[in-house]
Amino acid sequence: MTISPDSITLFKWGALHLNATIVFTWLVMALLTLISWLITRRLTTGTRISRWQNLLEVLVVGMRDQIREVSHQEPGQYLPFVGTLFLFIAIANLLNIVPGYIAPTGSLSTTTALAICVFVAVPLFGIAYEGPLAYFKHYLKPTVLMLPFNIIGEISRTIALAVRLYGNIMSGTVIVAILLSLTPYFFPVVMQLLGLLTGMIQAYIFAVLAMVYIASATSARSRIDKGKNQHETRSD
Amino acid sequence: MTIDWITVSAQIINFLFLVWLLKHFLYQPVIRTIERREQHIADRLTVAQERERLAEEKAHNHQHKVEELERTREQFFTKAKHDAEKTKRQMLDEARDEVTVTRKHWQRQTIQEKEEFLRNLQRQAADIIQVIARKTLADLANAGLEEQIAHCFIQRLKALNDKDFRKALRQSSAPVIIVSAFELSAATRGRLTRAVHEHLAEGVEVEYDESPQLVCGIELTAEGRRLSWNSDDYLEQLNDRVEEVLASARATG
Repeated sequence: MTISPDSITLFKWGALHLNATIVFTWLVMALLTLISWLITRRLTTGTRISRWQNLLEVLVVGMRDQIREVSHQEPGQYLPFVGTLFLFIAIANLLNIVPGYIAPTGSLSTTTALAICVFVAVPLFGIAYEGPLAYFKHYLKPTVLMLPFNIIGEISRTIALAVRLYGNIMSGTVIVAILLSLTPYFFPVVMQLLGLLTGMIQAYIFAVLAMVYIASATSARSRIDKGKNQHETRSD
Repeated sequence: MTIDWITVSAQIINFLFLVWLLKHFLYQPVIRTIERREQHIADRLTVAQERERLAEEKAHNHQHKVEELERTREQFFTKAKHDAEKTKRQMLDEARDEVTVTRKHWQRQTIQEKEEFLRNLQRQAADIIQVIARKTLADLANAGLEEQIAHCFIQRLKALNDKDFRKALRQSSAPVIIVSAFELSAATRGRLTRAVHEHLAEGVEVEYDESPQLVCGIELTAEGRRLSWNSDDYLEQLNDRVEEVLASARATG
């Protein structure tokens, strides 16, 4: 049984090996871009809009609202990153129902890549928000002794993020494969449906956690400042 | 559970590229469209609010105009009522004046007509009385009316007790003028002349004249004094009686 799509090589051209993970990732990317381009080239600002435009607007507005709710900040700069995380993972998981398709999110390489992106994005957003010095000071709080633990926490939560997504998707695929060999026909279909639900939940969890991490890096300082201001105002 | 780091690197690049693609083909166009629509809706709301404000302002103005119109109408109505009342009063006064004038005119005309009628009646009555008296006297006493009138006049001369008048006549050279309504006979004239000489002044000159104005009588004029007998008294009585009858007829009518 093949557990990871990394090991499935679809094209081989000299030293270059194209595995299923990359090919299906490209497929998902192409699909997302194509659908987006097809719909957004005919956008109207009137009150009567097409159902596809409506779908995209609902999706984008929903993601913006979710980001605003989680971070208590304007979603403008976070939407492309967090929204793409959600859309990519959700579409990659939903396409599992297509026969012959192998979800790239079932590859630890993909989930690791996404987790690394989050791992890098968190300090980047934090530094962009409050400057490098102020950001890195958070690692020394409450004391300098906490620095190793803070670093371990950063790394471990990135690993957890990657492994959680990989485990869920991979396990779903593996369970369906095992059940298919044991009890074909009915039960795998139910598991497949459950897999769709799990895939959507995982996409949501991954995106929301990424946003939470980014928010914790950016809004901690502003919360402290706000608290200080409120205290000063009250004492005045 | 192995990690292919080449695949990881490729996936990182893929993901970042996808972020860029979706930013350009999905998020930006959709957000721009939503913002435009929101702006459009906000503009329309602003326009609608402005229109509502204008409509309210117009409604307010309209209400104000209606109230003003109502007030003006009330003023016009009051003025028209006042004018009508004034005109009515004026017309009533004019009508009353006209009625008064007409009534006065009518009364004057009536009085004139009555006087005319009475004059005619008096004249005709005198004529009739004269004729009747003459005929009666001729039939009963075989005497003319003129003689009888002359007799009555002579009786009055006799009864005259005016010394000053007699004295004035004696001293005067002016003649005594006797005017009668009818032509006196020579005999009557002689009797009258004698009576004047006997009771007034001896030798005074007596002249005779006729005047239909006297109706039925004789009048003596001398020295600014006048002595007469005629049927005017009786006719005046008849006149008074006729007026009484006419007045009673008007009252009952």
